[in-house]
Amino acid sequence: MIKNPFAYLFSCLFVLAAHGAMLINIFYNGKYDDIKDLVILAAAVLGLDISYYIIMLFFKQYTYTVDFMLLLILNMSVIFQSCFGGVSFSTKHYITCIAALIACRFGHILTYNHNWIQQQKKYIWLGIGLLMIIILTLTGSRSMWINIGSFSLQPSEFMKPLLVLACATSITEQQNKHRVWKFDIVWENIILFGITGAVCLLQWWCRDLGSIPTFAAIYAAGFFLRICYPKAKFSNKTLIIAGSVVLAAALIGIKIAPEYVKDRLFVDIWSDKDGNGYQQSQALIAIADGGWFGKGPGNGFLHNVFAHESDIVFSSISEEWGLLYAIMMTLVILLIAASPLINPPRSYYHGTMCAGICAAFTVQMALNIFGSCNMIPFTGVTIPFISMGGSSMVTSGFMAGMLVAAQSPVFRKPKPKKKKTENTPVRRRYAA
Amino acid sequence: MKSIRRCQHIITLFLLIFIAGMAALVIKINREAPFYMMNSDHHELGMVYDRNGDVLFDGQGTGQYADNYFLDVGNLIGDDKGQMENTLVARNIEKLNNYSFSEGLLETGGQAAIYTTLDHYANRAVYDAYAGARGCTVAYNYKTGEILVCASIPSVDVTKGYADIANFETGTLISKAMYGTVPGSTQKVSTVISAMEALGRDNLLAKSYNCTGRYLNANGDYIDCHNVLGHGQLNLQQAVENSCNPYFAQLVADPELPLENIIQGYRRMGYAVNDDKEKYIDIDGIICEKASTTLVDKNEFRTQWGCIGQGDTLASPVQLMMWQSAVANGTGKMTMPYLVDKVFSVHGNITEIAKTRYSDKICSETTAQAVRQILLTNGANNYSVSISGYNVGVKSGTAQVKEGMEENSLLVGFLDDTRHPIAFCILIENMYSTGVTTEQIATVLLNSLCS
Amino acid sequence: MEDMNLMLCAVSAAALDICALVLIIASYRERSTGNKQWKKISANMELVEQGFTYQLGCDEILIGRHASADIRLPDISVSRYHAMLTVTDGVWTITDIGSKSGVYVNGTLVKRKRLHENDVITLGNRKLTLRKITDNKKSKKRN
Repeated sequence: MIKNPFAYLFSCLFVLAAHGAMLINIFYNGKYDDIKDLVILAAAVLGLDISYYIIMLFFKQYTYTVDFMLLLILNMSVIFQSCFGGVSFSTKHYITCIAALIACRFGHILTYNHNWIQQQKKYIWLGIGLLMIIILTLTGSRSMWINIGSFSLQPSEFMKPLLVLACATSITEQQNKHRVWKFDIVWENIILFGITGAVCLLQWWCRDLGSIPTFAAIYAAGFFLRICYPKAKFSNKTLIIAGSVVLAAALIGIKIAPEYVKDRLFVDIWSDKDGNGYQQSQALIAIADGGWFGKGPGNGFLHNVFAHESDIVFSSISEEWGLLYAIMMTLVILLIAASPLINPPRSYYHGTMCAGICAAFTVQMALNIFGSCNMIPFTGVTIPFISMGGSSMVTSGFMAGMLVAAQSPVFRKPKPKKKKTENTPVRRRYAA
Repeated sequence: MKSIRRCQHIITLFLLIFIAGMAALVIKINREAPFYMMNSDHHELGMVYDRNGDVLFDGQGTGQYADNYFLDVGNLIGDDKGQMENTLVARNIEKLNNYSFSEGLLETGGQAAIYTTLDHYANRAVYDAYAGARGCTVAYNYKTGEILVCASIPSVDVTKGYADIANFETGTLISKAMYGTVPGSTQKVSTVISAMEALGRDNLLAKSYNCTGRYLNANGDYIDCHNVLGHGQLNLQQAVENSCNPYFAQLVADPELPLENIIQGYRRMGYAVNDDKEKYIDIDGIICEKASTTLVDKNEFRTQWGCIGQGDTLASPVQLMMWQSAVANGTGKMTMPYLVDKVFSVHGNITEIAKTRYSDKICSETTAQAVRQILLTNGANNYSVSISGYNVGVKSGTAQVKEGMEENSLLVGFLDDTRHPIAFCILIENMYSTGVTTEQIATVLLNSLCS
Repeated sequence: MEDMNLMLCAVSAAALDICALVLIIASYRERSTGNKQWKKISANMELVEQGFTYQLGCDEILIGRHASADIRLPDISVSRYHAMLTVTDGVWTITDIGSKSGVYVNGTLVKRKRLHENDVITLGNRKLTLRKITDNKKSKKRN
C-alpha cells in the first residue's frame, strides 16, 4: 500500500465514484417506494467499500488492483441485485458478497506459495474426491443442490478452484516420467485426466450439463500448458487423436443426452415462446426493450421471469441499466481475468493457475450470456460475481484470491521435513 | 520468460474468443432487436395506408374515422391484438413498430408506416356490393402484382375490439382469399392448361367428345352434366363455354393423355398432388395456401371429378387469380402478388420498395395464349351483357360444398385492357341464398377500379 | 426527463469506465513494484554470456537447445533440455535435467548445486556467468 500511495488513493476514490454514480442514477431514474431503501443500499455499499480498504491495509501484497476490481464488481452486483423490479436491499446477496471477499483472502493465503501447496496436493485430490462423494450421496435424486434448511448449496461449484489447483500443482510433475513397457508415462497426467473425466461424468449424471464446459476448459488450459512444458512431448498425431476422441465423446454425449436436454439444445425459442423458449425470448425482448441506456434501475419487467437474478441476469441488467452498462460490467470481469497480462505471474504454477481461472471465468460468462441470448444452448450457468448464488459467489471470490496470489507470490521453502532432505533423487527434490 | 508468456497467450486467447463472441452478440442484438420487440406485448405501431394515402390501420388510435371505416379491410390488415395471426399488421409488426434499438419504443413522433397497394375505395365498393352475402373477392394488377382489392365477408372492425368474439360468424377473422376453397368449374382452366401442355395446342383443339347429360366411366361411375339433356358433340371452346363435365371426364380418360402428364402439369402450376407437401405463397408475410388435389387413376371417379374442380380439389382464390395472370400475360409466368408497396422506418426513411416478381413458367407461351383466347371468347360470347363495357376473359364455376348442401359461385378472369390489367377471382358462398351474382360484383369491381 | 435519464446513464457508465481505466493504470504502476519485488526474491541476478545478458524473470528457467526453452542456446553441444535454474528464498539452484554433456559449475560436474554470484556455468561449449544486475550498463539483452 505504501509503494504507490497515489495510485491506490485514486483507485479507492474512483471505485467509490463508480458506485456513487450508480446510486445517483438510481436516485433520479430508479423506481423506489421509500427513499429509506436507497439510503440503506448506499450505506451498505459505500460502507463495505471503505471497510475493505481499511482491511486491505493489513495485508501485505505486491499488487492490490485485483482487490479493487473485485470490490468494484461485487458492489456493482449488490446494486444490480437490489434494483430488480424496484429498489429493495438484497441482504442475502450482500452477505454472499462479503463471504466472497473473505474467500478471496483465503484464496490468496492458501495459494501464494507453490512450494507449500505442492506438498498439499493430496489434500486437493482428497477434496475433489470428497466433493464428488458428497454430490453422489447427499444431493437428492441426481440433482446438483444440497438443501440445508432454506439455504441450498451447489457442491460442484467448489470443485472448480480445486480442479484449477490440481492442474496447476501437477505441472512440475511433467519432469517425472516413468517408463512403463514402451511408453513414457507421467502418472499425474493420467490421474488428472481421470479426475476431469470423472467430474464431467458426475456433472452429466447430475444433469448439470452447463458446468461440464467449464471443467473441460479448465482442464484444456492446463493440458495445453502441459504440452508446452519441458519434456512433455506430444506429437501432432497424439493431439489430433485426443481431439477427435473428445469430439466423438461430445457427439455421443449429445446423442444419448436425456430428452429434456435435447429439448433445450434444439429449441426454436420464438415458435415456443410460452414454453421452453420462454426465459430466453423474454430475456431477448428485455434487452431489446432496454436499448443502449436501459429503462432505469427498477423499471424492468424481467424480474417477473424465473431465474432473472441468475441464469438470465445479463438480460435483467441490460434491461434496467442498458446494454452498454451490461457490456462494461462483463469487461470489468474480463479485466480481473486479464490482470495476469499486466502483472505477469512469476512461476509456471501461478501462470497455469491464472490460465485456468481465466478459462473458468470466460467460459461461465460465455455460457450464461450467449446461452440466454440464444446463440448457444441455454444452460443454467452463473456469471461469476454477478449472479445470485452463494456457492458460485464464494468460489468466484476464492478464484479471484488465487489471481491475487499469482501476482503477489511467495517463494519460500516450507520448513523441511525431517526425513528426506539430501539423499532423495534430484527431480523429486525439485518437485517437492 | 517463455513459459510465462505461454500462459499469457492462453489467457489472451480465452479473452479474445469471449470478446469476439460479445461483439457478435451486440451485432446480433442490434440487427434483430426489432424482431424481439415484435414478440413483446408492448408495441407502438405506426400507420398503414392504401395506395392513395387513405388510412387502413391506425396504430396509435388517435385519428377520427367514420363508423366501420376499417370494416372492409379488417381481416386482411388486422391488428396486433393477437386474435388474427395471418394479417398484414400481425405479420409485419417488426416493420410497423416505432422502435429502434438506440431510441427504444417511441410513443410519439415515430414515423413507421406501411403503404399498401390496396384501393380502399374499390375494396369498400366491392365489400358493400355483397349486400349481406358471404364470400370474398381478390383482384390484382397482373402486370405488376399489386393487390388492388381483397375483401372477405364477413369482416371485423378492429377498432371495436373483440369483446363480442363469441358471437363472431365463422370465417370473420380470416381473409378467405388466402385459404383453399373448392374451385368448381374454374378448375377446368387448370385442366385445360395441363392437357394442352401434354397434348399440344392443335391436337387438343381438334379433339371433341360427346355429352349425353351423363358419362359412364370405365370404372362404372357416372359423371353428371348440369345439362341433363346433354350438350352433344363438343370441342374445347364449346366445352369451356358450357362448362361441360362429361367432356372433361372423357378428356382425362383419353388414352392419348397419360395421367402422369396431367399430374406434372398440375405440379408445375403449384398443386400439391396426392401426398405432396402442401405449398404456400408468401404475400408480405401473410401465408396464402396454394392448391391441392388427388389424382390416382384416370378412370376413377375421384380423379375425374377432381379435374373438374370437385371432390378433393382445393385452391385458394389468390391462386386462382394468379393462374389468370399467367394466361392474361400470355407468357405462362404468374405475376407474384404483393400487398406492401413501401415501408417507412421509424425515422421516416423508405426502407423497402416492392418489386414485381414472376413465378417460374407454369406453361408454354403457346398454351397461355390459346387459353387466353378461349377465355376471352367465352367472355365475349357469354358475359358481354352481364359485365357490360369490359373486354373480359372469364371462367365461372359452381362448387358443391358441405357435402352438396350448399353451392358456391365462383368467377375468375381478367380484363383485357392495357391501362387496367386486372385479374380477379370472385367467390360468393351459398349462392342460392342471396340475390347477388358474381357478375354483378365483377361489374362493381371493374367500375370502381377503372373509373 | 428523457435527457436527464440519458445523461445520468452516461455519467454512471463514464464513472465505471474511468474507474476501470484508473485501475488499469494503477496496475501498471504496480508492475514496477512487482518487478522490484521480484528482484528482491531473485537476488537481482542475471546470466551473462559474452556480452549477452539473459533475464531471470520467473522461478523456473529452462536452459537448452529446444525452441521452447526459456534460455535457448542454439549450440549442438547443448542438450535440448539441459538444465533448470530455480530460485527459492533468493537462492538460485541449478539442476541437470538429463543432459548428455553434463552441467559444470566453476569447472566441477554437478547434478544439482546452489549457485553464488559470479559462478561460471558450463553447458557443453557454452559458458554462462551468474551475476548481479548492473543497471547503468545497457548491454544487449536476450530473453
